[in-house]
Amino acid sequence: MPEFDVVVVGGGLAGMRAALEAQRSCNVALISKVHPLRSHSGAAQGGINAALSATDSIESHTFDTVKGSDYLADQDAVEILCREAPDRILELDKFGVLFSRTPDGGIAQRPFGGAGFPRTCYAADKTGHNLLHGVYQQCVRSGLAVFEEWFVLRLVTGDRGVNGLVAYHIPTGEIATFAAKAVILATGGYGRIYSRSTNALVCTGDGAALALKAGAALMDMEFVQFHPTTLLGSNILISEAARGEGGHLVNSEGERFMARYAKNAMELAPRDIVTRSIQTEINEGRGIAGDHVNLVLTHLGADKIKSRLPGIREISMDFARIDPIEEPIPVQPGQHYSMGGIAVNTDCETEIPGLLSAGESACVSVHGANRLGGNSLLETIVFGKIAGRTAAKLAKGREPDTGGLEVARREEEMRTGDIAANRSNESVAGMSEELKNTMTENFGIFREERTMRAGLERLYLLREHFKNAGIQNRARTFNQALVSYIELKNELLVAESVALGALAREESRGSHYRTDFPKRDDERFLKHSMATLRDGRLSLSYKSVTLGRIPVKERTY
Amino acid sequence: MKFRIWRGDIDGQNGRYETFEVDVQPGMSVLDALFDIRDKQDDSLAFRFSCRGAVCGSCAMMINREPRLACRTQLSTIGKSKGLGLRPFTPLEKPVEWDRGTEVLIEPLPNLPVLKDLAVDMSRFFEAYRKIKPWIDARVEQKAFSKIMPDEAQRIEQYTNCILCAACFGACPVCDSNPEYLGPAALSWELRFTDDVRCKDREERMKTASLAEAVPGCQFVYNCVKVCPKQVAPAKAIGKLKSYIS
Repeated sequence: MPEFDVVVVGGGLAGMRAALEAQRSCNVALISKVHPLRSHSGAAQGGINAALSATDSIESHTFDTVKGSDYLADQDAVEILCREAPDRILELDKFGVLFSRTPDGGIAQRPFGGAGFPRTCYAADKTGHNLLHGVYQQCVRSGLAVFEEWFVLRLVTGDRGVNGLVAYHIPTGEIATFAAKAVILATGGYGRIYSRSTNALVCTGDGAALALKAGAALMDMEFVQFHPTTLLGSNILISEAARGEGGHLVNSEGERFMARYAKNAMELAPRDIVTRSIQTEINEGRGIAGDHVNLVLTHLGADKIKSRLPGIREISMDFARIDPIEEPIPVQPGQHYSMGGIAVNTDCETEIPGLLSAGESACVSVHGANRLGGNSLLETIVFGKIAGRTAAKLAKGREPDTGGLEVARREEEMRTGDIAANRSNESVAGMSEELKNTMTENFGIFREERTMRAGLERLYLLREHFKNAGIQNRARTFNQALVSYIELKNELLVAESVALGALAREESRGSHYRTDFPKRDDERFLKHSMATLRDGRLSLSYKSVTLGRIPVKERTY
Repeated sequence: MKFRIWRGDIDGQNGRYETFEVDVQPGMSVLDALFDIRDKQDDSLAFRFSCRGAVCGSCAMMINREPRLACRTQLSTIGKSKGLGLRPFTPLEKPVEWDRGTEVLIEPLPNLPVLKDLAVDMSRFFEAYRKIKPWIDARVEQKAFSKIMPDEAQRIEQYTNCILCAACFGACPVCDSNPEYLGPAALSWELRFTDDVRCKDREERMKTASLAEAVPGCQFVYNCVKVCPKQVAPAKAIGKLKSYIS
């Protein structure tokens, strides 16, 4: 049985940054269900925030982030995020990331939504790609042990905390244990529980489900970010950078409608506001063909589009046959980011000794009810590093009890064998589609009690229905049908936690908008929701928000 | 639309072609069609995927005898574009029963061992990548941002766009005939690091580039340039390295 000090689950930016850090003093393994370079971090486009300029400040970055979060973010965590940002950007520069430059050779920065200063560093509009490759290259340099296409089935915990995990090797079907003194979950978000999502197909909330089942809490799960501009049809992300560089949003009447919703910030209001504005235009009959609005870039000129936005031009041409130099891009809102996640403290620890989380899978919380563009890449590298450091420290003081691992492995072998042998054959794909439709229709951009109650019923029915799900594939090797089955099972659990949190939060805050409770209610709901699993049932409790630096105020742009 | 798909067990055993009929919807990509087949007809069909937006590099495969990303290949364009004009070599000329007029032919990427169906073993590809030491030597002592003038950045930007999908590796006749050859992607990264103003090991890089399995192996067939979904132009990078060596 392989034994490690630290096992990192997830090969995106947060996971790799954590592994690099822990590896300085520990024996580390990185496990990922896809090759690290196939992780969703690589799809991030617009940039990464840091107060680098002499006229910008860490305080200003902190203020914008807290205000953007609709005051739900924990202010101590936000301060760490913003304070660490300049050093982490410098580190990425040392790692070889090619940030776009100013004419005098410095790091260029562009304006982004909800920010009082142009503080978003970027590599054209392929920032995530450049960061992912840069950090991966340093992992290659360090000789990190990477176990790719290993899908984690279960965390193994004992009386004194986490002891390791059981994972399934997709290419061969082998089920193996990994003993660990500390485990870091860096598994990304749960976007694929929605039908219209910018997320990679692999973003199925596996880490959240693993953590819940191991006894950890999920925090603020009802806060789901819908990005204003996703490409009509495929819902591939069209970066906020397009608006940061001067793009306009226009309805069917040719009107720049943002003037009616955020007259100062216009297209660069925070995402929750722009998303609701677009959806309102569509709902009130001023959408185009009833389902989208136009993102106009034609006035920016060919040179700017080619140098600053080459990626979104490629995407428009490849996936919609449209050249944004000539024509507007048809866009609609779509699920984009999971603000909620595994509850952790500012050292990235859960309540379970030795179990940590970082990146989109975690909820520290630095994004609160609404994340600002450019802060998610930042979170991955800031808290990835912190998670790696904490895990390394914990590993020195913990002796895992490896006794339970083999039992867990045999149980998982039986369980996966049962799935493959199951005679039930109702389609996993059909149920997955029903889940996505339920979440989009009943827990989408605009929410209300009646539709959410109906949605929760749909989810409970689906959970029952899932008992009849089966797969045809009996192969041991590359049984991706088996993986899809387990992913859907994870998603059902995660979706229920989103639904419960959304139904219970009788207010509107950030991305969570209740048509039946359109105002923010600080008295009742300036608090984090916490979902836990006990005896197979999810239950909710609440935790106070860490305030104290920035006074809670009304949020206008 | 009919899809003729190569099937095979682990190590490519029991290789055969199977035909599936897919009800094509507007906006469907080859990747969407593969999912449709897996969801409705045969859930044992193996293929890799992740982003579905041509940024992650998971789904390179042979589509109508041309290495392409399945997610980026729209069904509406199949048979309508004039093709990439690749110089043929063995895997592209392997005889197959295939009605070019009515069927889309889907095969695993050439030059890498097949694991199962359309999933290939990428080990050789990533070994070549590691061989060129694909990193900037991060110095702890560096206290300030590197100064990189816009033209210096522009010189390497094209080569930073590589997503390591291996389409070029699959399209390269030298990768087919010479099992030692590092291939277009790895050498393209070699140039990306050599031409970076932060590069501190240029001499060593030139030594690596001069190895028989590196730059001298390239025959400038340009298939790599034609198939690259990110317009990286590996052969151009290799040409530059060649000029540095000589």
